[in-house]
Amino acid sequence: MNLLKRLAFILGGIFVGANLINYYVLGNTADYLPDSVRMGQWKAAKIREACYPAFEVRERDGTLPQLTTNDHRVAWQDLSQTVTMTTALHCYLVTHPNAVCERNNRAYIVDYINRYFAKFDEMIDTAKRYGEAEITNVKNLWDSPRNRAITAALKQDAGNGRLIKADFGWTTPSAMKSIFDQHKGAADNCPGV
Amino acid sequence: MSGVLSLIRVPALAFLGGFLVVGGWIWGPQLWRQVPGFSWGSSSSSFSSGGSWFGDANRIGRPEVAPVLRSCVTRMLDLGRAEKVDPSAVYSMLKAGSMQVSISALAGGPNALTGNRTTKFAAIWGELASCIYAQDDRELCDPDNRAAMVEASTKFFAFAKQAETSKPPISGSDAQVLSNFSDRLLNALKNHRHYGTLVSADFGNFPPTEIARIMGEEKQTSDICRKR
Repeated sequence: MNLLKRLAFILGGIFVGANLINYYVLGNTADYLPDSVRMGQWKAAKIREACYPAFEVRERDGTLPQLTTNDHRVAWQDLSQTVTMTTALHCYLVTHPNAVCERNNRAYIVDYINRYFAKFDEMIDTAKRYGEAEITNVKNLWDSPRNRAITAALKQDAGNGRLIKADFGWTTPSAMKSIFDQHKGAADNCPGV
Repeated sequence: MSGVLSLIRVPALAFLGGFLVVGGWIWGPQLWRQVPGFSWGSSSSSFSSGGSWFGDANRIGRPEVAPVLRSCVTRMLDLGRAEKVDPSAVYSMLKAGSMQVSISALAGGPNALTGNRTTKFAAIWGELASCIYAQDDRELCDPDNRAAMVEASTKFFAFAKQAETSKPPISGSDAQVLSNFSDRLLNALKNHRHYGTLVSADFGNFPPTEIARIMGEEKQTSDICRKR
Protein backbone atom coordinates (compact mmCIF):
# COMPACT_ATOMS: atom_id res chain seq x y z
CA MET A 1 0.00 0.00 0.00
CA ASN A 2 2.81 2.27 1.00
CA LEU A 3 4.54 1.54 -2.28
CA LEU A 4 1.36 2.30 -4.23
CA LYS A 5 0.99 5.61 -2.45
CA ARG A 6 4.56 6.53 -3.25
CA LEU A 7 4.09 5.52 -6.86
CA ALA A 8 0.88 7.56 -7.13
CA PHE A 9 2.65 10.51 -5.60
CA ILE A 10 5.58 10.29 -8.01
CA LEU A 11 3.31 9.87 -11.04
CA GLY A 12 1.17 12.79 -9.84
CA GLY A 13 4.30 14.90 -9.45
CA ILE A 14 5.47 14.00 -12.93
CA PHE A 15 2.03 14.81 -14.37
CA VAL A 16 1.78 18.18 -12.62
CA GLY A 17 5.43 19.03 -13.33
CA ALA A 18 5.18 18.10 -17.00
CA ASN A 19 2.10 20.26 -17.41
CA LEU A 20 3.68 23.21 -15.62
CA ILE A 21 6.75 22.93 -17.86
CA ASN A 22 4.57 22.62 -20.94
CA TYR A 23 2.58 25.73 -20.03
CA TYR A 24 5.17 28.05 -18.52
CA VAL A 25 8.47 26.91 -20.04
CA LEU A 26 7.56 25.56 -23.46
CA GLY A 27 4.72 28.06 -23.77
CA ASN A 28 2.23 25.60 -25.24
CA THR A 29 -0.67 27.50 -23.74
CA ALA A 30 -3.00 26.41 -26.52
CA ASP A 31 -2.96 22.88 -25.08
CA TYR A 32 -5.04 24.20 -22.20
CA LEU A 33 -7.79 25.88 -24.20
CA PRO A 34 -11.31 24.48 -23.70
CA ASP A 35 -11.97 21.18 -25.40
CA SER A 36 -15.11 21.49 -27.53
CA VAL A 37 -16.50 20.70 -30.96
CA ARG A 38 -15.52 24.20 -32.05
CA MET A 39 -11.86 23.77 -31.14
CA GLY A 40 -9.46 21.42 -32.87
CA GLN A 41 -5.74 20.73 -32.57
CA TRP A 42 -3.68 23.91 -32.70
CA LYS A 43 -0.65 21.99 -33.91
CA ALA A 44 -2.57 20.95 -37.03
CA ALA A 45 -3.56 24.53 -37.92
CA LYS A 46 -2.79 25.18 -41.59
CA ILE A 47 -3.15 28.95 -41.27
CA ARG A 48 0.22 29.18 -39.57
CA GLU A 49 2.11 28.00 -42.65
CA ALA A 50 -0.24 29.84 -45.00
CA CYS A 51 0.82 33.10 -43.36
CA TYR A 52 4.58 32.58 -43.54
CA PRO A 53 4.84 34.79 -46.67
CA ALA A 54 3.31 37.67 -44.69
CA PHE A 55 6.51 37.89 -42.67
CA GLU A 56 8.76 38.27 -45.67
CA VAL A 57 8.26 41.92 -46.61
CA ARG A 58 7.93 43.78 -43.36
CA GLU A 59 10.51 46.52 -43.77
CA ARG A 60 9.21 49.93 -44.72
CA ASP A 61 5.62 48.82 -44.34
CA GLY A 62 3.86 51.91 -43.06
CA THR A 63 0.85 49.93 -41.89
CA LEU A 64 2.82 48.01 -39.29
CA PRO A 65 3.46 49.25 -35.76
CA GLN A 66 6.26 51.77 -35.51
CA LEU A 67 7.52 54.14 -32.89
CA THR A 68 6.58 57.71 -33.58
CA THR A 69 9.24 59.25 -31.36
CA ASN A 70 12.85 58.63 -30.38
CA ASP A 71 12.06 59.55 -26.81
CA HIS A 72 10.76 56.18 -25.63
CA ARG A 73 11.66 53.23 -23.40
CA VAL A 74 10.53 50.42 -25.68
CA ALA A 75 13.17 47.69 -25.94
CA TRP A 76 13.91 46.40 -29.44
CA GLN A 77 12.78 42.89 -28.48
CA ASP A 78 9.36 44.25 -27.52
CA LEU A 79 9.15 46.30 -30.70
CA SER A 80 10.12 43.33 -32.82
CA GLN A 81 7.59 41.10 -31.08
CA THR A 82 4.86 43.70 -31.53
CA VAL A 83 5.53 43.85 -35.27
CA THR A 84 5.67 40.05 -35.57
CA MET A 85 2.46 39.48 -33.63
CA THR A 86 0.61 42.19 -35.51
CA THR A 87 1.76 40.81 -38.86
CA ALA A 88 0.69 37.30 -37.90
CA LEU A 89 -2.68 38.12 -36.38
CA HIS A 90 -3.50 40.47 -39.25
CA CYS A 91 -2.87 37.60 -41.64
CA TYR A 92 -4.92 35.13 -39.57
CA LEU A 93 -7.92 37.40 -39.13
CA VAL A 94 -7.91 40.01 -41.89
CA THR A 95 -6.11 38.48 -44.88
CA HIS A 96 -7.80 35.12 -44.29
CA PRO A 97 -11.13 36.02 -42.67
CA ASN A 98 -12.55 32.50 -43.00
CA ALA A 99 -9.52 30.78 -41.44
CA VAL A 100 -11.05 31.04 -37.98
CA CYS A 101 -13.97 28.87 -39.11
CA GLU A 102 -11.77 25.78 -39.31
CA ARG A 103 -11.48 24.02 -35.93
CA ASN A 104 -7.71 23.59 -35.85
CA ASN A 105 -7.11 27.13 -37.06
CA ARG A 106 -9.56 28.45 -34.47
CA ALA A 107 -7.62 26.81 -31.63
CA TYR A 108 -4.37 28.28 -32.91
CA ILE A 109 -5.84 31.75 -33.55
CA VAL A 110 -7.58 31.93 -30.16
CA ASP A 111 -4.27 31.17 -28.47
CA TYR A 112 -2.54 33.77 -30.62
CA ILE A 113 -5.15 36.39 -29.69
CA ASN A 114 -4.38 35.63 -26.03
CA ARG A 115 -0.67 36.14 -26.64
CA TYR A 116 -1.29 39.34 -28.61
CA PHE A 117 -3.25 40.98 -25.81
CA ALA A 118 -0.91 39.58 -23.14
CA LYS A 119 2.04 41.27 -24.89
CA PHE A 120 0.16 44.56 -25.08
CA ASP A 121 -0.74 44.37 -21.37
CA GLU A 122 2.84 43.52 -20.47
CA MET A 123 4.20 46.51 -22.39
CA ILE A 124 1.61 48.84 -20.85
CA ASP A 125 2.58 47.58 -17.38
CA THR A 126 6.23 48.34 -18.11
CA ALA A 127 5.34 51.77 -19.51
CA LYS A 128 3.44 52.66 -16.33
CA ARG A 129 6.79 52.94 -14.53
CA TYR A 130 7.71 55.85 -16.80
CA GLY A 131 4.47 57.79 -16.71
CA GLU A 132 1.79 58.96 -19.09
CA ALA A 133 4.08 59.88 -21.97
CA GLU A 134 5.46 56.35 -22.20
CA ILE A 135 1.99 54.81 -21.92
CA THR A 136 0.98 56.98 -24.87
CA ASN A 137 4.06 55.81 -26.80
CA VAL A 138 3.06 52.18 -26.31
CA LYS A 139 -0.59 52.85 -27.14
CA ASN A 140 0.46 54.66 -30.31
CA LEU A 141 2.73 51.77 -31.22
CA TRP A 142 -0.19 49.36 -30.94
CA ASP A 143 -2.48 51.62 -32.92
CA SER A 144 -1.11 51.10 -36.42
CA PRO A 145 -3.50 50.59 -39.33
CA ARG A 146 -2.98 46.84 -39.03
CA ASN A 147 -3.73 46.85 -35.31
CA ARG A 148 -6.92 48.75 -35.99
CA ALA A 149 -7.83 46.26 -38.71
CA ILE A 150 -7.27 43.42 -36.22
CA THR A 151 -9.55 45.07 -33.67
CA ALA A 152 -12.22 45.55 -36.32
CA ALA A 153 -11.89 41.91 -37.42
CA LEU A 154 -12.18 40.71 -33.82
CA LYS A 155 -15.35 42.74 -33.36
CA GLN A 156 -16.74 41.34 -36.57
CA ASP A 157 -15.83 37.76 -35.65
CA ALA A 158 -17.45 38.17 -32.26
CA GLY A 159 -20.50 39.79 -33.88
CA ASN A 160 -21.05 36.94 -36.28
CA GLY A 161 -20.29 34.15 -33.83
CA ARG A 162 -17.07 32.99 -35.41
CA LEU A 163 -15.39 33.59 -32.07
CA ILE A 164 -17.28 33.18 -28.81
CA LYS A 165 -16.29 33.67 -25.19
CA ALA A 166 -16.34 29.92 -24.55
CA ASP A 167 -13.54 29.44 -27.10
CA PHE A 168 -11.21 31.30 -24.75
CA GLY A 169 -12.34 29.60 -21.53
CA TRP A 170 -10.79 31.07 -18.43
CA THR A 171 -8.10 32.86 -20.43
CA THR A 172 -10.35 35.44 -22.13
CA PRO A 173 -8.35 38.69 -22.43
CA SER A 174 -10.07 41.66 -20.81
CA ALA A 175 -10.16 43.50 -24.15
CA MET A 176 -12.07 40.57 -25.66
CA LYS A 177 -14.47 40.29 -22.72
CA SER A 178 -15.99 43.68 -23.47
CA ILE A 179 -16.32 42.78 -27.16
CA PHE A 180 -18.06 39.50 -26.32
CA ASP A 181 -20.36 41.24 -23.87
CA GLN A 182 -21.62 43.39 -26.73
CA HIS A 183 -22.32 40.37 -28.91
CA LYS A 184 -23.83 37.80 -26.57
CA GLY A 185 -25.61 34.92 -28.29
CA ALA A 186 -24.40 35.74 -31.81
CA ALA A 187 -24.97 32.78 -34.17
CA ASP A 188 -21.98 31.33 -35.99
CA ASN A 189 -22.14 32.41 -39.65
CA CYS A 190 -19.15 30.38 -40.81
CA PRO A 191 -19.65 28.84 -44.23
CA GLY A 192 -20.96 25.30 -43.89
CA VAL A 193 -22.13 25.67 -40.28
CA MET B 1 -0.97 8.87 9.91
CA SER B 2 2.78 9.06 10.46
CA GLY B 3 3.21 7.06 7.23
CA VAL B 4 1.37 9.73 5.25
CA LEU B 5 3.40 12.44 6.93
CA SER B 6 6.69 10.77 6.14
CA LEU B 7 5.50 10.25 2.59
CA ILE B 8 4.78 13.89 1.97
CA ARG B 9 7.55 15.37 4.13
CA VAL B 10 10.39 15.17 1.64
CA PRO B 11 8.39 16.31 -1.45
CA ALA B 12 6.80 19.07 0.64
CA LEU B 13 10.22 20.27 1.76
CA ALA B 14 11.51 20.10 -1.80
CA PHE B 15 8.48 22.05 -3.00
CA LEU B 16 8.91 24.63 -0.24
CA GLY B 17 12.60 25.00 -1.05
CA GLY B 18 11.86 25.44 -4.75
CA PHE B 19 9.08 27.89 -3.97
CA LEU B 20 11.35 29.95 -1.74
CA VAL B 21 14.07 30.12 -4.39
CA VAL B 22 11.75 30.91 -7.31
CA GLY B 23 9.42 33.07 -5.23
CA GLY B 24 12.35 34.91 -3.68
CA TRP B 25 13.72 35.61 -7.12
CA ILE B 26 10.40 36.92 -8.41
CA TRP B 27 8.79 38.51 -5.37
CA GLY B 28 11.84 39.16 -3.17
CA PRO B 29 12.29 42.70 -4.50
CA GLN B 30 8.75 43.74 -3.69
CA LEU B 31 9.02 42.28 -0.20
CA TRP B 32 12.31 44.01 0.53
CA ARG B 33 10.88 47.27 -0.65
CA GLN B 34 8.28 47.03 2.11
CA VAL B 35 11.05 47.07 4.73
CA PRO B 36 11.59 50.69 5.77
CA GLY B 37 15.14 51.94 5.44
CA PHE B 38 16.30 48.91 3.53
CA SER B 39 17.99 50.14 0.42
CA TRP B 40 18.46 46.82 -1.31
CA GLY B 41 15.08 46.21 -2.78
CA SER B 42 14.82 44.07 -5.82
CA SER B 43 13.47 44.18 -9.27
CA SER B 44 12.66 41.74 -11.96
CA SER B 45 14.18 44.24 -14.32
CA SER B 46 17.48 44.05 -12.49
CA PHE B 47 17.73 40.48 -13.65
CA SER B 48 19.41 41.67 -16.79
CA SER B 49 21.13 44.68 -15.35
CA GLY B 50 24.40 43.05 -14.51
CA GLY B 51 24.00 44.60 -11.11
CA SER B 52 22.52 43.01 -8.07
CA TRP B 53 20.08 40.19 -8.17
CA PHE B 54 18.30 42.33 -5.64
CA GLY B 55 19.05 45.80 -6.93
CA ASP B 56 16.50 48.40 -5.88
CA ALA B 57 13.71 48.65 -8.46
CA ASN B 58 13.59 52.39 -7.96
CA ARG B 59 17.33 52.76 -8.52
CA ILE B 60 18.20 50.15 -11.10
CA GLY B 61 16.07 50.01 -14.24
CA ARG B 62 16.45 48.44 -17.67
CA PRO B 63 19.85 49.26 -19.19
CA GLU B 64 18.86 48.37 -22.76
CA VAL B 65 16.39 51.26 -22.94
CA ALA B 66 18.58 53.84 -21.20
CA PRO B 67 18.37 57.23 -22.94
CA VAL B 68 22.15 57.73 -22.58
CA LEU B 69 22.69 54.84 -24.97
CA ARG B 70 21.24 56.85 -27.83
CA SER B 71 24.13 59.27 -27.90
CA CYS B 72 26.81 56.89 -26.62
CA VAL B 73 26.09 53.99 -28.96
CA THR B 74 25.87 56.32 -31.95
CA ARG B 75 29.16 57.91 -30.97
CA MET B 76 30.89 54.58 -30.38
CA LEU B 77 29.78 53.17 -33.69
CA ASP B 78 30.70 56.43 -35.39
CA LEU B 79 27.57 56.42 -37.51
CA GLY B 80 26.51 59.35 -39.58
CA ARG B 81 23.25 61.06 -38.77
CA ALA B 82 21.56 59.42 -41.71
CA GLU B 83 22.16 55.96 -40.27
CA LYS B 84 19.27 54.75 -38.18
CA VAL B 85 20.40 52.36 -35.50
CA ASP B 86 18.48 51.00 -32.55
CA PRO B 87 20.75 51.51 -29.51
CA SER B 88 18.72 48.97 -27.59
CA ALA B 89 19.52 46.31 -30.21
CA VAL B 90 23.22 47.24 -30.33
CA TYR B 91 23.42 47.07 -26.55
CA SER B 92 21.79 43.64 -26.49
CA MET B 93 24.21 42.39 -29.13
CA LEU B 94 27.13 43.68 -27.10
CA LYS B 95 25.83 41.84 -24.07
CA ALA B 96 25.32 38.65 -26.03
CA GLY B 97 28.85 38.87 -27.45
CA SER B 98 30.27 39.47 -23.98
CA MET B 99 28.41 36.50 -22.64
CA GLN B 100 29.81 34.34 -25.41
CA VAL B 101 33.36 35.41 -24.57
CA SER B 102 32.82 34.78 -20.87
CA ILE B 103 31.40 31.33 -21.50
CA SER B 104 34.20 30.48 -23.89
CA ALA B 105 36.73 31.58 -21.27
CA LEU B 106 34.99 29.53 -18.60
CA ALA B 107 34.91 26.54 -20.89
CA GLY B 108 38.64 26.87 -21.42
CA GLY B 109 38.56 28.12 -24.99
CA PRO B 110 41.76 28.95 -26.89
CA ASN B 111 43.69 31.38 -24.71
CA ALA B 112 45.12 33.57 -27.43
CA LEU B 113 41.78 34.13 -29.07
CA THR B 114 39.95 34.59 -25.79
CA GLY B 115 42.56 37.02 -24.48
CA ASN B 116 42.34 39.09 -27.62
CA ARG B 117 38.57 39.21 -27.61
CA THR B 118 38.48 39.86 -23.89
CA THR B 119 40.67 42.95 -24.33
CA LYS B 120 38.40 44.10 -27.14
CA PHE B 121 35.28 43.68 -25.05
CA ALA B 122 36.91 45.35 -22.05
CA ALA B 123 37.74 48.34 -24.27
CA ILE B 124 34.18 48.52 -25.68
CA TRP B 125 32.58 48.41 -22.23
CA GLY B 126 35.15 50.87 -20.94
CA GLU B 127 34.36 53.27 -23.76
CA LEU B 128 30.65 52.94 -23.17
CA ALA B 129 31.05 53.52 -19.43
CA SER B 130 33.30 56.53 -20.06
CA CYS B 131 30.73 57.97 -22.45
CA ILE B 132 27.92 57.54 -19.94
CA TYR B 133 30.02 59.18 -17.20
CA ALA B 134 30.77 62.07 -19.53
CA GLN B 135 27.06 62.98 -19.63
CA ASP B 136 25.53 65.35 -17.17
CA ASP B 137 25.85 63.94 -13.64
CA ARG B 138 22.10 64.05 -13.11
CA GLU B 139 21.57 61.71 -16.05
CA LEU B 140 22.46 58.91 -13.67
CA CYS B 141 19.43 59.75 -11.53
CA ASP B 142 17.39 57.95 -14.18
CA PRO B 143 17.18 54.26 -13.13
CA ASP B 144 17.70 53.01 -16.70
CA ASN B 145 20.78 55.19 -17.21
CA ARG B 146 22.08 54.11 -13.82
CA ALA B 147 21.55 50.46 -14.76
CA ALA B 148 23.49 50.96 -17.99
CA MET B 149 26.27 52.64 -16.06
CA VAL B 150 26.43 49.90 -13.46
CA GLU B 151 26.47 47.19 -16.10
CA ALA B 152 29.05 48.90 -18.30
CA SER B 153 31.39 49.54 -15.34
CA THR B 154 30.97 46.06 -13.93
CA LYS B 155 31.58 44.41 -17.27
CA PHE B 156 34.59 46.60 -17.98
CA PHE B 157 36.31 45.65 -14.73
CA ALA B 158 35.41 41.98 -15.16
CA PHE B 159 36.86 41.86 -18.69
CA ALA B 160 39.88 43.97 -17.75
CA LYS B 161 40.71 41.54 -14.97
CA GLN B 162 40.28 38.61 -17.32
CA ALA B 163 42.51 40.31 -19.90
CA GLU B 164 45.22 40.96 -17.31
CA THR B 165 45.45 37.30 -16.42
CA SER B 166 45.17 35.98 -19.96
CA LYS B 167 47.92 33.87 -21.49
CA PRO B 168 49.83 34.96 -23.46
CA PRO B 169 49.75 38.35 -21.71
CA ILE B 170 48.16 41.26 -23.53
CA SER B 171 50.45 43.79 -25.19
CA GLY B 172 51.77 46.80 -23.30
CA SER B 173 49.73 49.23 -25.37
CA ASP B 174 46.53 47.27 -24.73
CA ALA B 175 47.31 47.17 -21.03
CA GLN B 176 47.83 50.93 -21.09
CA VAL B 177 44.48 51.52 -22.81
CA LEU B 178 42.68 49.42 -20.19
CA SER B 179 44.58 51.12 -17.40
CA ASN B 180 43.53 54.54 -18.70
CA PHE B 181 39.89 53.46 -18.83
CA SER B 182 40.19 52.03 -15.34
CA ASP B 183 41.61 55.26 -13.87
CA ARG B 184 38.98 57.37 -15.59
CA LEU B 185 36.13 55.15 -14.43
CA LEU B 186 37.33 54.90 -10.85
CA ASN B 187 37.61 58.66 -10.70
CA ALA B 188 34.10 59.07 -12.07
CA LEU B 189 32.82 56.41 -9.68
CA LYS B 190 34.29 58.36 -6.78
CA ASN B 191 32.47 61.51 -7.86
CA HIS B 192 29.19 59.71 -8.30
CA ARG B 193 29.61 58.05 -4.91
CA HIS B 194 29.92 61.55 -3.42
CA TYR B 195 26.91 62.82 -5.37
CA GLY B 196 24.78 59.87 -4.26
CA THR B 197 24.01 58.90 -7.84
CA LEU B 198 25.68 55.53 -7.27
CA VAL B 199 25.61 53.56 -4.05
CA SER B 200 27.20 50.26 -3.13
CA ALA B 201 23.94 48.33 -3.43
CA ASP B 202 23.61 49.37 -7.08
CA PHE B 203 26.48 47.05 -7.93
CA GLY B 204 24.96 44.04 -6.25
CA ASN B 205 26.31 41.57 -3.79
CA PHE B 206 29.49 40.73 -5.67
CA PRO B 207 30.88 43.90 -7.28
CA PRO B 208 34.38 43.95 -8.78
CA THR B 209 36.96 44.62 -6.06
CA GLU B 210 37.91 48.04 -7.50
CA ILE B 211 34.30 49.21 -7.35
CA ALA B 212 33.73 47.68 -3.91
CA ARG B 213 36.78 49.52 -2.60
CA ILE B 214 35.60 52.90 -3.92
CA MET B 215 32.09 52.35 -2.62
CA GLY B 216 33.45 51.34 0.79
CA GLU B 217 36.11 54.03 1.17
CA GLU B 218 34.25 57.04 -0.19
CA LYS B 219 31.28 58.67 1.50
CA GLN B 220 28.20 60.31 0.08
CA THR B 221 28.37 64.07 0.57
CA SER B 222 25.25 65.16 -1.29
CA ASP B 223 22.21 63.81 -3.10
CA ILE B 224 21.92 65.45 -6.47
CA CYS B 225 18.97 63.23 -7.37
CA ARG B 226 16.77 64.52 -4.59
CA LYS B 227 13.77 66.35 -5.97
CA ARG B 228 13.47 69.84 -4.69
